[in-house]
Amino acid sequence: MSETTGPASPVRNRRPFLGGASGQVGLLAIVAIFWFIFSTLAPGFLSSFNLYALGRSLAVDIVIGFSQMVVLATGGMNLAVGSIGVCAVMAAGFLLQDLGLPISVGFAGALLLGGALGWLNGFAIVKTGVNAFIITLASASLFLGAMLILTKAVPYNGLPPEIGAFGRARLFGIVSPLLIIAIAIGAALVVLYRFTALGRQILAAGANPRAAAMSGVPVDRVIVISHVLSGMLAAAAGLMVVTRLGAAMPATGGEEWLLPSFLGPVLGGTLLSGGSVAVIGTMIGAALVTTIRSGLLVLQIGNFWLQLFLGLILLFAVLVDRYRSVYAERRSVGVKS
Amino acid sequence: MPFLRRLLIVEWSGLAVAIVLGSVLLAVLTPNFMTEYNIYVMLRSFCVGLLVGFAQMVTLGVGQMNISVGAIGGLVAISFGGMMEALGVPLVLAVPLAIAIGALCGLINGVLTARTGINGFIITLATASAFTGINLGITEAIPFYNMPAALVAFGDERFFAFPYLLIAPIIVTALLMLFFARTVPGRQLLAVGGNPHAADLSGISRERTIVLAHVLSGGLAAIAAVLAVAQLGSAQPSIGADWLLLSFAAPIIGGAALTGGYVSVVGTTLAVILIALIENGMVLANVDPYWVQFLLGALILAAVWLNRWRAVKTGTD
Repeated sequence: MSETTGPASPVRNRRPFLGGASGQVGLLAIVAIFWFIFSTLAPGFLSSFNLYALGRSLAVDIVIGFSQMVVLATGGMNLAVGSIGVCAVMAAGFLLQDLGLPISVGFAGALLLGGALGWLNGFAIVKTGVNAFIITLASASLFLGAMLILTKAVPYNGLPPEIGAFGRARLFGIVSPLLIIAIAIGAALVVLYRFTALGRQILAAGANPRAAAMSGVPVDRVIVISHVLSGMLAAAAGLMVVTRLGAAMPATGGEEWLLPSFLGPVLGGTLLSGGSVAVIGTMIGAALVTTIRSGLLVLQIGNFWLQLFLGLILLFAVLVDRYRSVYAERRSVGVKS
Repeated sequence: MPFLRRLLIVEWSGLAVAIVLGSVLLAVLTPNFMTEYNIYVMLRSFCVGLLVGFAQMVTLGVGQMNISVGAIGGLVAISFGGMMEALGVPLVLAVPLAIAIGALCGLINGVLTARTGINGFIITLATASAFTGINLGITEAIPFYNMPAALVAFGDERFFAFPYLLIAPIIVTALLMLFFARTVPGRQLLAVGGNPHAADLSGISRERTIVLAHVLSGGLAAIAAVLAVAQLGSAQPSIGADWLLLSFAAPIIGGAALTGGYVSVVGTTLAVILIALIENGMVLANVDPYWVQFLLGALILAAVWLNRWRAVKTGTD
């Protein structure tokens, strides 16, 4: 199954990373190579505890990537992913600890807040016509500031113990239930983009807004819906961190999520120009990021060089992607346009 | 209403009004505002912010953006401090070297963006991470503390309310105004930003102009970093970590077009003054510092909305 989904488009430069499915195999191979290197250099890498911890942080990275991917599909972006995430985290803490609501209600409230903040982003973008970058840059600061003013940056440490227990749970000894949830979200997104009218409309609006509007796609509404989805996914990622820590910390998310949110989708083959998504690619891209982070940790190279590695990998990925598509274009057309 | 219309067209008129009103309000409400020392503190905090805003402004002018302004600042700050403390490079040599490092980072950004045609956002997001990684890898987040006395004095001393630190931004502002108004590369930069296709047709090299804008941006971020080191008295690896929002806030509140082709040196300067005024007012009024973050976000949204409203009103849209 060719997993990169997008409407058949005649525009030549809309070519997915490393040419679709084969690209994802290539990416998977890169992940495998890193696994081989790390497990050879540090036997601790394959210990059941490390694999478990790796799966748990992978779950968060995947959902953060999805949160960015759903707006990249419309040709926009969301710099507020980390801010919405932390707002949801603190909202959950407030609802569970201060109001004493049941866990399901607290988490639902947090997801709802995420969706509402996403809606604000989408609404402002559609109403002003200003590009998503600047709106979400400003709203990221606005949301984070409001959260800090309201909570005074005091963490919620007294959450119900079931939350931490769920975060520590292991299935079959090495699999975190969080990873299962992340994969389930991925499956739902595949269904959305492949099999539903809404999903196809989102991709059509991202590929060519004018053409989509002429064929009756409510472009504005589709963009707002994508931002709501992005907000809810960011909130979900935040809640995953809450279960992992067993507490709601104000230092979750923020600008730290910015790079990972783009790394997963872009490595996986989602185009910044919109009109395509690669759900499985985003998951493999996130796997590469998590693997490198975990490997460097096990090798005790430390977090300091991690940023350099991630930056270079992102750079490498977009450059390879670019030269692949230029090469393919030349071969198929004969001349460069 | 020809006068009002004219006033609307000058993009920074609203800013000037806001600054005057804000200052009067603060002067009346808080007796500490008009003291010589407070004005010195405000002017001193304004210096780094202005250069950070300029560093983003030049890339916005050519229709690009530079996410790595802060990362370049951090890398330059620790290189600058490191070469003086660890390698014993004299100050007079370290300053131009530091600016050259910033320009080199900008050159990397510019060449990668212009040669590949890849979205500048994603390129500079990647290089920002790489520059920060080098910074943290070298320093392991430990600052360089032993800065030359001359540098610390330059960052600290003042003539009445006038900090010596302010000399640098004044010179840079004048040069930038000259650059955009009177020089061929400056005009070409805005031409490429305004209409790349038309610029191409008139024989301007788009690649070279984009590279130039990024080199300038890196150089300006480097000057900001040097000033930040002087102001703090030590080379902190965390310098630049919080520049991203400010770097966009200043030129956008100052009226720069997000799509490129139009920037305002005066507008950006006034925007940074307004931001410094707000921060200062918050401190004097003992307000939670988190409000600054909130207000800065709100201010950008208001400016974006105002710019659109003005464009519609004056019929320039």
